[in-house]
Amino acid sequence: MKKKNSILGMAFFGPALVLLTIFLFLPMALTFVFSFTDYFALNPELTHFVGLENYFNIFKDELFVQSFLNTVKFVVIIVPCQCIGALVLALAINKAAHCKKYFKVAFFVPVVMSLAVVSTLWMQIYSPEGILNTLLANFGIDAQPFIHSASQALPSIAVMSVWQGVGYQMIIFLGGLQNINPALYEAAEMDHASAWQQFKDITLPELKPLCVFVFITVTIGAFRMLVQPMVMTGGGPDHSTYTIVYDIYETGTVNWEMGLASTMAIVFTVFVVILTIIQNVLTKDKEEKKHGIKKAKAN
Amino acid sequence: MVSKKQRRINWILVAVLLVLSIFFLFPVIWMLANSFKPDAAITADMNSIAAFIPPALDGNFFDNYIEIITNTSFLRYMGNTLLYAAILIVLGIIVNGLAGYALAKIDFPFREQWLLIIMMLLIVPTETVITIHFLIIAKAGLLNTILGYILPSIVNPFNIFLFRQVFVSLPDDVYEAAQLDFCGPVKYFFTMVIPMSKTVVATVSVFTFLNVWNDYLWPALVFTSSDMLTAQIGLNSITSNENTTMGQTLAVITLVTIPVIIIYSLFSKQIVEGVTSTGSKEG
Amino acid sequence: MSFIEFKNVCKRYPGSDKDTVENLNLNIEEKEFIAFVGPSGCGKSTTLRMIAGFEEITGGELFIDGKKMNEVAPRDRGIAMVFQNYALYPHMTVEKNIGYGLKNMKMPADEIRKKVDWAIEMLGLEEYRYRKPKNLSGGQRQRVALGRAIVKNQKLFLMDEPLSNLDAKLRVSMRTEISKIHRELGATTIYVTHDQVEAMTMADRIVIMKEGVIQQVGKPMELYDHPVNQFVAGFIGSPQMNFFDVTVEDGTATFADGNSITLSEGTLKKLNGRRGEMILGIRGEDIKMDAQNMEINGENRLHAVITDTEVMGNENNLYFGFGGAQAVARVSKYEISQIGDRIDFVFMPSKMHFFDKETGVNYMEMQ
Repeated sequence: MKKKNSILGMAFFGPALVLLTIFLFLPMALTFVFSFTDYFALNPELTHFVGLENYFNIFKDELFVQSFLNTVKFVVIIVPCQCIGALVLALAINKAAHCKKYFKVAFFVPVVMSLAVVSTLWMQIYSPEGILNTLLANFGIDAQPFIHSASQALPSIAVMSVWQGVGYQMIIFLGGLQNINPALYEAAEMDHASAWQQFKDITLPELKPLCVFVFITVTIGAFRMLVQPMVMTGGGPDHSTYTIVYDIYETGTVNWEMGLASTMAIVFTVFVVILTIIQNVLTKDKEEKKHGIKKAKAN
Repeated sequence: MVSKKQRRINWILVAVLLVLSIFFLFPVIWMLANSFKPDAAITADMNSIAAFIPPALDGNFFDNYIEIITNTSFLRYMGNTLLYAAILIVLGIIVNGLAGYALAKIDFPFREQWLLIIMMLLIVPTETVITIHFLIIAKAGLLNTILGYILPSIVNPFNIFLFRQVFVSLPDDVYEAAQLDFCGPVKYFFTMVIPMSKTVVATVSVFTFLNVWNDYLWPALVFTSSDMLTAQIGLNSITSNENTTMGQTLAVITLVTIPVIIIYSLFSKQIVEGVTSTGSKEG
Repeated sequence: MSFIEFKNVCKRYPGSDKDTVENLNLNIEEKEFIAFVGPSGCGKSTTLRMIAGFEEITGGELFIDGKKMNEVAPRDRGIAMVFQNYALYPHMTVEKNIGYGLKNMKMPADEIRKKVDWAIEMLGLEEYRYRKPKNLSGGQRQRVALGRAIVKNQKLFLMDEPLSNLDAKLRVSMRTEISKIHRELGATTIYVTHDQVEAMTMADRIVIMKEGVIQQVGKPMELYDHPVNQFVAGFIGSPQMNFFDVTVEDGTATFADGNSITLSEGTLKKLNGRRGEMILGIRGEDIKMDAQNMEINGENRLHAVITDTEVMGNENNLYFGFGGAQAVARVSKYEISQIGDRIDFVFMPSKMHFFDKETGVNYMEMQ
């Protein structure tokens, strides 16, 4: 019977395993190997082992450093806006006595639209004679260049990105809010807790693991910024919206410098993995504490 | 027992949210309204409330759409994408579902270790392996083929994990009863497990559809022949054409968005469930 | 050869240092209704699942109808099974659930239809034919599970606590129904339950298990009247048999509180000279208070004060402390007593059991 289960198990798991091997394990292994070589995809015969050279070079590469700094700028703008925006929206909608369903849909609509659609739409909105500048003119504000200037392009794309993404995290927060035991609020009511105290002492602590999760996923998402600048600005003007993943993508598929691209990919992956581990540590800790309290209560 | 003060706060809250949601939806409303206008009207309306109102329903109402549909291959691109999505949904459910079932219910060697590996794969940012996917598919001579497009996307660690979580709680005695009813494991999977797990199957299908429909990077690499393009790539090639008017651009992106909105309105329950499950898994 | 034969069958789960089922030897005849009873964890369900083929047999051999079954897949063992939680296919109607096995046997559609009609009628499921399991009550679901088992014409029925999820009243009526089905179909039935009443009322023979070992196999009344050890004596019968610590010396048994009774010739003969500390067991209905019995056993008359009563309607249970233990007597509804009443009673001499204090073996049933 055991033997039969082994065969059956591998038969069921096999197709997925084959595809995982070809399209995840192998690429990951290749990326790792390539990162120590000067692999040039158009001329693979000339590949040399170069040791850690790529790892030193990418940090000397001005474009990579700039794309890294740009990515950090994206993160710094997007993460607080999107996280706090999503939380505030969720809290408000959760409290709202009417139109709950409509609000959920309205703020979620941009999430289901594609990056390409949203980018194309906002290119029109941001255009020099576009609707946004026309509206601003009504308030006596001069026409802004938005995505056509090196100083405004990045924040413009970031704002659009928050607009598109905030609904997703809002739904996550709403799910978390609905999972809070209403008896907690009833008990707090009995203890004469004010609305602010209830928020501070019940809602926030209960949502904390979810907050960490949202914070990290939004951060990782912002680090992965690629399609929006690709469609809207092509990374410009003056590489002001060029990002890490954009750099990896172009180095790999436009310049075919796979060695260098792989090194960037490894650095980037390590970065993302570290963020995820931090998140796991933070949430695990919370959960254990929570369970500890529950156990203590049960006793 | 809601006090007067609370009720007033509630109304203010709803009013604020209403105003906010209208502002929030401005881009979408503007897109819809102006996709029916010639460029001259779009520019003329820009400085008034008319910017957010569709034009009168006359003979020219659908001009932008007709222009797109007759003079470009955009409908074909949409059809391509639907086809790719349908294939990927079916294959994805079979491959990931079978794997999820094995991890949930079949006692085979290293099952726990495989599960752990699948969970770790959830972290890997897929953009970083996309170039290697391209090399593999090019080497296999599969560029510009459906197979080349779908092969790397069939297996999905997140879907395997999602299936596994749902299948784990299926009762074992139903499988035992089915065995005594002469139903083998493969038949059991397709005729019992899948129908018994409609919710997760629907969730995975919807997300697969949205992924394929909205995917940008991978189809841009694999497809160069214009016969094979997906809607997103077709959109980009049409809107970047000098001769495409603003109204036509808006019509194209509206067209691309319509199926997504339909899917969303039909399956919003599954989508919300899927989204919240990504949160509850960690939190 | 018997229909089912267990030869030294053992089950040990990986990572455990003890057999869950130990050296099981048992023969079951064709058309028999056998009930496996015992407390939870006694190995009765594991045994059933080994017969079905859902649990691997880790030692010994199992034969069904003369064929060795150890390596045979469940589907090829010629069995039908009713599960504790019904295990219905949730997305299929009642009709489809019952006919599913037949369809997989590639039976022609009109024959399936006939069989399913027959089962549905027999079980009174006509009006639920097109319903799905989630729209049925527990009793109806159990009927569907029975229907699914009976249509397949298998020679062996396995039932794993089929009534344990039903309420008390429904359980009684389903008991009769299962007995009726067994009479009509004549299939060998193996029925696992933790409820000795089910076993007593339905089974031809009962197998009592404890900690993976068979304690006694026999007809219901055999087990009731002649339990081979204290475990069987205590497990079968409700209220439970009364047990008292006694010391047997010179033909008398002395209770912990100093009371004593003279033992009969027959009892002494079966004790075969054994003496010292042992356990006296007697069933509640064998504690007598009527004039006739008091007359016959005058010298062994005992006294106690009633501490509690249970009025059952047809009879009464009287609780009292005696001989350093709590005891219960079952008396007819005409013998009414109140809490605090003093009662005189005698133990029926031929109904007393004497168990070994260490091993629990019943001296009265030793050859």
